[in-house]
Amino acid sequence: MTRRDLTHFRLIKTVLHRRGPQFALTALALGGFVLAIVSGLAGTPVGSRNFGIVAVWIAWWAVLMLVAVPLFGRGWCSICPIPAPGDWLQRGALLQPATRGLGLGRRWPRATRNMWLQNAAFAVLALFSVVILTQPIVTAVVLLALLFLAVGASLIFERRAFCRYLCPVGGFVGLYSQLAPVELRVKDRAVCAADRQKSCYTGNAAGCGCPWLVYPGALEKNTYCGLCLECLRTCPHDNIAVNWRSVGADLLQPRGRRLDEAFKALIMLGSAIVYAAVMLGPWGTLKSAAYNIGSGTWLIYALGFLAFVFVVLPGAFLFTVHAGRKLARSAVPLRRAFVHFAYALIPLGLAAWVAFTLSFVFANLSYVWPVLSDPMGWGWDLVGTAGDSWTPYLTQVVPALQTGVLLGGLLWSGVTVRRIALEGRSQHPVFPLTLPVMAFCLVITLGLLGLLVG
Amino acid sequence: MNPERTARVLVFALALALPLGVLLTRWAGIPRQGGEWIEIHGRMSDDGGWTPDEITVDVGEVLHLRLTSDDVVHGFAIGQSNFEAVDVMPGEVTQATVTLEQPGRYVFYCTRWCGVNHWRMRGTIDVRGETSEPDTAMSPLYQSLGIDLEAPHPADVAPPDDPPSSHRGANLGVPIPDRFLTAAYYRAHSPGETWHSLRAEAAAHQLTDEEVWDLVALVWASNATPSAIEEGGRLYASNCAACHGERGAGDGVMARALANGAAARLEDRDPSPANFTDAVQMLGATPALLQGKIIRGGMGTGMPNWGPILTDAETWALVAYLWRFQFGPANTGPDTAR
Amino acid sequence: MQTSVIGRIALFGLPALVVLLAPTPSGSAEPSERIIRIEASSFAYKPALIAVAQGDHITIELVATDVVHGLHVDGYDLSVTADPGQTQRLTFVADRQGTFRIRCSVPCGPLHPFMIGKLKVGTNWLLWRAVALALLAAMAGVVGFRQ
Repeated sequence: MTRRDLTHFRLIKTVLHRRGPQFALTALALGGFVLAIVSGLAGTPVGSRNFGIVAVWIAWWAVLMLVAVPLFGRGWCSICPIPAPGDWLQRGALLQPATRGLGLGRRWPRATRNMWLQNAAFAVLALFSVVILTQPIVTAVVLLALLFLAVGASLIFERRAFCRYLCPVGGFVGLYSQLAPVELRVKDRAVCAADRQKSCYTGNAAGCGCPWLVYPGALEKNTYCGLCLECLRTCPHDNIAVNWRSVGADLLQPRGRRLDEAFKALIMLGSAIVYAAVMLGPWGTLKSAAYNIGSGTWLIYALGFLAFVFVVLPGAFLFTVHAGRKLARSAVPLRRAFVHFAYALIPLGLAAWVAFTLSFVFANLSYVWPVLSDPMGWGWDLVGTAGDSWTPYLTQVVPALQTGVLLGGLLWSGVTVRRIALEGRSQHPVFPLTLPVMAFCLVITLGLLGLLVG
Repeated sequence: MNPERTARVLVFALALALPLGVLLTRWAGIPRQGGEWIEIHGRMSDDGGWTPDEITVDVGEVLHLRLTSDDVVHGFAIGQSNFEAVDVMPGEVTQATVTLEQPGRYVFYCTRWCGVNHWRMRGTIDVRGETSEPDTAMSPLYQSLGIDLEAPHPADVAPPDDPPSSHRGANLGVPIPDRFLTAAYYRAHSPGETWHSLRAEAAAHQLTDEEVWDLVALVWASNATPSAIEEGGRLYASNCAACHGERGAGDGVMARALANGAAARLEDRDPSPANFTDAVQMLGATPALLQGKIIRGGMGTGMPNWGPILTDAETWALVAYLWRFQFGPANTGPDTAR
Repeated sequence: MQTSVIGRIALFGLPALVVLLAPTPSGSAEPSERIIRIEASSFAYKPALIAVAQGDHITIELVATDVVHGLHVDGYDLSVTADPGQTQRLTFVADRQGTFRIRCSVPCGPLHPFMIGKLKVGTNWLLWRAVALALLAAMAGVVGFRQ
């Protein structure tokens, strides 16, 4: 596996090392974020004509799912505006790594130092997603709530507790960042071991200790590294590398696989299926049920959604893992096999989200142009595009793209299933062990194909 | 300037000044020479209709309107005026100016169907000022004729199988006495009554009952100019067809919702839209009665009162068009040149 | 070792190529005139699934039943808009095979972007090719490329 340290390039190193560029992007994103809230509260309630909806759920979502996550993993977290105000308060500075800030600096409760709260946060948002996606004021309220949560968490707890343990987006971005061809790692572990200061974790005059509560010297996966680049700045030994690597390298790292992350993979896969059916399917009743929050049909939809992503899909997956163990007469404990094989669903999950996003985004991308000219729906025409009409883009190409992405995801997941099975090769034959899990992946893929291009 | 200060300025500019600036332009309003913009938001009537729905203006004063929709496609027009209707699109702003030269109470209304209660989406413009001429508004014909709009009005005769045809009537070559052809007669008599009267005419002795019906159709056709029927058809398509059906059978797309009670109405009223293809009901109705129903509305059914909106000529055009559902195309001349 | 990898890749790659490159059979039946009435209400089409044969002459009668709706056919990039009470027609020849989404083209309320139906013209070969490729991909996953 070849890795290429991008910090060898002077320009890249300078840009990453300095705070200015990252800060400027964050500030820009914050401006957009605040504008999205303001337009949600004061602009037109028509989603397709409101900056908040179009910027967040078409532009940002497209950039996140089609570019940022597949290529840069947690690249978005690097410039995310949501934790920024809390971060600044905590540090007492915007740009300098000062230490005299506000906040109680409590430690996060041990019981929830995992992804479960993020799993729950995502599921809760998902229950209301059809409304959040279409009503500017609801989007504004959700963004405000996230901002308050992030600031609150920064003031009560140490470092970026919100990003690490609460953010509903951060959970799946972290999960899928394992696939990215970019990683931040130490160059030489021996250097870290010899260093007694551990200033990458404790901070020094050059920067903060890791805001994500990660010790870079032990980094093996992208999942919880927010690419904030503080360690690049604090390391006195210039021992931090930003590597270009082969994609999906983290999936093959057997250490540190956990049940909460395994569930995240299943929840995300299940949500992608439900979203494809509800939002892009032809079933009006389903859409109305998902939209009419508080009604009886919505309650059924909500319970059905939760049952599907937390019970049915994981249950079916557990069954296939169990069947594989039986076929292979494997002695690996069921829970362990379940957790490990779930990581093979990550490529298929990302493929499902990319495929879902492709049709949603290209069909509605043309809403961006009028909103640029008239962000609030007040009859402005800033750059002369207010009158541009809705035109779905690439309608002849998108189904083929979606098919390619889903098949690629299946192939990738298949290869990963086999690699994971091979990790314990001495104990069991690989073929019967992987057969049911592969069948599971195949069925999911066929289902998604049917929903998205059928 | 040190970097930290630059950073503060940047954040202040992007995260506070920019959004505040956007809001301020809103509160400051859009500058306009001479007079304020009046911004009117349209919503489906169940969600509030027009906001504001009452506007007061002086006679002759120019109204500058900014119209926007908060949900679906609406349209904006002012009844009894020559203001050209405009579309009001969701999240877009349509600007319009209008000057009302006569004092009085005008009704503005939605012109694009936006649900079963679409017609309830109305507002008023009070135009203040001295009346330059005495109120010329006449009371509608049905009132001066003393027609009870609620009374049942079945026809006691009906044509046999084929619908009456003015075309055939014109080809009979039988002269119709002039008194039947006047607007006053046509408007005050139902086709059924006309049929009886024509049947009794000496000139009609040789004719079959069916041929007399063709003459009745000719009486209608003689009172309905092609341009009136065309205008009536346009008004019917945009205002009536959603409930009464594109073919007049009372089976429009809103009929189901009306029957389900989705529309606000009085309990004891039959909400099903009138069926203009029903010969018994239609042939017993006078044009004056039909016009009265249009003007006054259904009083607790889903039928709107069009009085404040349609002009007298428009209501007569609409009535002329309604008979097409009984008589087919209007044709007054025989095949050969007159 | 190396030859075995190449062999495996050939084992799955060649059938995959065949699936990808196989010519699409075109509809052989006589084209017929099809008039299809579609009722549009917020936020669904009824019927939401329309199946026609390739080459058919299609007339879609769009009937809006509550507010103004539109209908846009993906792939053909044709649109029509209808007010309640004013049925509008869209006539075209279904010469392009596959399954195409139909979408509302006039903002009709919050769920407007998700108001979607499907037009199936002939056989959806993209889907069937995808199914075949998915089977191959799954088999490749089970057998593996390397011993």
